[in-house]
Amino acid sequence: MQAEKTNKGAKDPKAEVLDWIEENPRKVRQADIIVGIPSFNEADCIPFVTEQAAIGLKTYFKDYRSVLINCDNHSEDQTGQAFLSVETDIPKIYLSTPAGVKGKGNNFRNLFRKAVDLGAQAIVVVDADLRSITPRWIKSLGEPLFQGYGYVAPIYIRHKYDGTITNHIAYPLSRALYGRRMRQPIGGDFGFSGAMARLYLEGQLWDDCVALFGIDIWMTTLAINSSYPAAQAFLGAPKIHRAKDPASSLGPMFRQVISTFFRLMEAFDQSWSQVRWSKPTPIFGFGLGETEMPPPVSVDEEKLYQGFVDGFKEYVQIYEQTLTRDVYRKTKEIAGLSYDRFELPPALWAKIVYDFALGFHLSVVPRDELIRAFVPLYFGRTGSYVRTTQGMELRVVEDYIEEQCLVFEETKPYLVDRWVTSKG
Amino acid sequence: MTKILIVDDEASIRMLYREEFQDEGYEVIEAEDGHKLTERIEQDKPDVIILDIKMAAYDGLDLLQEIRQQFQDLPVIISSAYGAYKGDYKTLAADYYVVKSSDFSELKQKVRKALEGKVPSKKAP
Repeated sequence: MQAEKTNKGAKDPKAEVLDWIEENPRKVRQADIIVGIPSFNEADCIPFVTEQAAIGLKTYFKDYRSVLINCDNHSEDQTGQAFLSVETDIPKIYLSTPAGVKGKGNNFRNLFRKAVDLGAQAIVVVDADLRSITPRWIKSLGEPLFQGYGYVAPIYIRHKYDGTITNHIAYPLSRALYGRRMRQPIGGDFGFSGAMARLYLEGQLWDDCVALFGIDIWMTTLAINSSYPAAQAFLGAPKIHRAKDPASSLGPMFRQVISTFFRLMEAFDQSWSQVRWSKPTPIFGFGLGETEMPPPVSVDEEKLYQGFVDGFKEYVQIYEQTLTRDVYRKTKEIAGLSYDRFELPPALWAKIVYDFALGFHLSVVPRDELIRAFVPLYFGRTGSYVRTTQGMELRVVEDYIEEQCLVFEETKPYLVDRWVTSKG
Repeated sequence: MTKILIVDDEASIRMLYREEFQDEGYEVIEAEDGHKLTERIEQDKPDVIILDIKMAAYDGLDLLQEIRQQFQDLPVIISSAYGAYKGDYKTLAADYYVVKSSDFSELKQKVRKALEGKVPSKKAP
């Protein structure tokens, strides 16, 4: 693909300036609303998402100047060509990081910059691997941004074993800390205003993990802690994408999301330490009729259990240093249980998460090691959840996850006391 | 005095709740349905709302959406005879969900919790 322009030398006071490659065949210079599609090697999936997004813009935002932007990681599978080849009335721009520069966050940073350049009021972002997106998603994620909201997170039906980092860490922890209930804080599909794009472009608290998969929780956390109101959009259709078995394939993503989360906790501790309980966030987008059920996601429960037991042996010294004595003792006891009797309950899990957040803050061991040692415990909690919820319907599981969130909220003083004490 | 607005189409439920919460020292006001509910909220400024779901002429979950659009941080507790609505995503816009019972302790606890909540407020959209 021929590079039309680069942003080399662009002024950006805080964030590190990256080169970008741009192809803008219709020479778009201004836009009111953007749909951004971040990608890396998604040539087979991106045409469908592009078509649906274009229909959404044409149908629901016909009075606005709109543009589709694929922000890509220099994919070798011709993702950019696949995107630009889709026939749409809506103009398209292809942006890419330079060859060799990967990371979803880097794609987003290019999108923030372009959104500010174009003067956009509303930016909707949808994953390139979505198979269930409909034009209504663009409406639901975009409309609140024209009503004064700064950030819109999705709510969709997900299989009970899809989104395990969300269900066991991102949602309960974010909710307990910052007091805002956002069901999918790392859902991957968002809306944000032009004002939020400018705030993101300032690059506050940006680091290497944010440049990768830490971007979603970084955006959500900054939005929650900003002065701009946030909302959620119910998207009706389930999120159907390349779901991953947590036992096999979530390693790097887990490390990047959790490191970002814990680091942001340090930055916002003055705020979250004052928060008690939580408040709901407004939801838009109902009235879609019957919602579909998501396809099954298979999870290897035994592999999760084994990952927990083996990991406990491997990282036992880190656990001794990171967990409080009581939490360590109970966790050790559980690691000694047979597969048939094994259970890691929410109350203990909440304390484990809080102990690790504090351990990260105090750097009780090198942070990378600490996050690596956290993975087996996450496997343990996920395996236990899989076992508990095996026979449950999705609605009952949602209720169970809400209960787990309340446990995180009730246990929060344990974190606050330890955090404050650690500061002397 | 902390003011509770009870929205329920059953007079007997409203009476029961009124007695229970007045005994606890709350001021209780009532609405028998959702007619002009947001105007009523604007006028009476309740500190917390207890909202039924299945009412003869109104759907409590639709009312909840209306309330949330205008009063982002006003605590709303759903009180329904049906536990089955609990998994409905619309209920996520409520602060808490309580299944109606002759034991009021859970409802009272949720009211206290909703009033205790301390979350930074945002500017209205």
